[in-house]
Amino acid sequence: MLRFVSGMIGKFEPMFKDGPLKIAYPAFEAGETFFLGTHHRSTGLTHVRDHQDTKRLMITVIYALLPVLTFAMWNTGYQGFLAEGVQSPSIVSSFLRGAWAMFPMILTSYAVGGFWEALFAMLRKREIEEGFLVTGMLFPLILAPSTPLWVLAMGVSFGVVIGKEVFGGVGMNILNPALTGRAFIFFTYPSMISGSGVWDLGAKSPEFLTGGAVALADGYTGATPLLAVSSAAPGTSAVEALTQAGYSFFDLFVGVIPGSVGETSALAILMGAAVILLSGVGSWRAMSGTVIGLVGVSFLFNLLAGPENNAFMTLPPHYHLVMGGFAFGAVFMATDPVTAAITPTGKWIYGIGIGGLAALVRVVNPAYPEGMMLAILFMNMFSPLVDYYVVQGSRKRRQARLAAA
Amino acid sequence: MIEQYLGLAIKSIFVENITLAYFLGMCSFLAVSKRVETAVGLGAAVVFVLAITTPVNWLLNEFILREGALAWAGLPNMDLSFLGFISFIAVIAAMVQLVEMFIERFSDSLYNALGIFLPLIAVNCAILGASLFMVERSYTFGETVVFGTASGVGFALAIAILAAIRYKMRYSDIPPALRGLGITMLTTGLMSIAFMTFAGISL
Repeated sequence: MLRFVSGMIGKFEPMFKDGPLKIAYPAFEAGETFFLGTHHRSTGLTHVRDHQDTKRLMITVIYALLPVLTFAMWNTGYQGFLAEGVQSPSIVSSFLRGAWAMFPMILTSYAVGGFWEALFAMLRKREIEEGFLVTGMLFPLILAPSTPLWVLAMGVSFGVVIGKEVFGGVGMNILNPALTGRAFIFFTYPSMISGSGVWDLGAKSPEFLTGGAVALADGYTGATPLLAVSSAAPGTSAVEALTQAGYSFFDLFVGVIPGSVGETSALAILMGAAVILLSGVGSWRAMSGTVIGLVGVSFLFNLLAGPENNAFMTLPPHYHLVMGGFAFGAVFMATDPVTAAITPTGKWIYGIGIGGLAALVRVVNPAYPEGMMLAILFMNMFSPLVDYYVVQGSRKRRQARLAAA
Repeated sequence: MIEQYLGLAIKSIFVENITLAYFLGMCSFLAVSKRVETAVGLGAAVVFVLAITTPVNWLLNEFILREGALAWAGLPNMDLSFLGFISFIAVIAAMVQLVEMFIERFSDSLYNALGIFLPLIAVNCAILGASLFMVERSYTFGETVVFGTASGVGFALAIAILAAIRYKMRYSDIPPALRGLGITMLTTGLMSIAFMTFAGISL
């Protein structure tokens, strides 16, 4: 089989390399490296002895995303059934229904993003970079399942072109492309991705998957846990508000709750975190910094909380960890090696900044109940400055050491 | 009291950053952000000038320009607020000159570090903007001092961040058509999106 593929590729190579299809060479090259190991050697001054190239790095993240993806498909379908008033739907039908809603999103994301990647690669006479493999998968996972596909396409286009390609492509971007696209949608089409109706799959499911169930009008109020807390009456504690809305800590941890498709399950995300940390793809410093920042700031708010403050101040740190997009952001977004700070000390500062800001925005900013996305974007932007001063600092220490010696 | 001032300071630095939320002071923001040191130097100078000119303009507005301000001179019906722009500009230019001479006399190294940027601050619209906002929002004198200083800090923060990003971007393979100001404008836009984190926080 492999021999056949390699034979075919060998046969077509001249046609692309300097034949009539020269313009499409980057696309051909991407296809070739998809099937066959690369035989390219690094040129210029760097010499890398490892097989750990960008593609391997990116595919590891995709592996880490698999538990999240599987869980997301089931949960999306399950929540869709619940929204229609169907009690205890079967696992298979939930999964199929979720998959039916999510596959078009993932396909659109890859197709539109891939189009821009290929276009830029051809125009700039470069190979197609594999970075988009991850962005294209992350992006649908941080959206609500009922997001229209054209909105998703707009978001991916903005994220890839303005967030990444104009800076020179993979490795050069300042902000995380998936989050840039998400923020773009968030500010330009706010009604499409917020409100209580967005977890209703209604239009996105064909009849043979729903089993003929008709959506009940107002049959189910799909407030996410974050909304339940932020709309709690003053005086009630956050945990009470959650219990009233029917969410226990265990529900939040496992993730059988409405939310952005990939963000609900802290359990599935933890599995992904294990893969990312063991393979060394993501930085453990940034990840643990994020957790420390969130726990620290939310603990501080707990101490300051009085009866007249909003309910979010009383939310204990361990609830903060499993709610909303925090876990997903901390594991898959904050660890992005390109947009995080580069220096080890910088990574700590960067992580703690993200966690602290996320808790701060959740508690004090009524405009957004979910602060994780914007907190990461803000620290992405801040990280070059952090790095600059960390490097200046170590340079100064070194000079002092040299002067003393 | 302290809480209110702190709230105003945080608001002017992050929530309503004078550069990234109001897009004031763009010319020097874009032009002097190539190196982090000079950007921080300019930022410091802007903080300094804003901290002085906004309160001075407040005094000018309160006791001479606004309607009924000349009551102390026996002219209660006088309204000189149409002179606002020109007198604010004059104060700013004078103050910048004064600051420049002062720095030249007392700190040679700072003077050399700031170089041309110091006189250029006179035409920085963030400075005039802060004075006009101060009138529009009818701040008290204490609030004006806090607002002026914090606006300057906000500008300094934004320009330092941009300078660090541009420092990093020196190694980026940016499309030729976008090199220089093009990519800087795009970066500024993305920075504004990131600063939206704080939009909506009420203090």
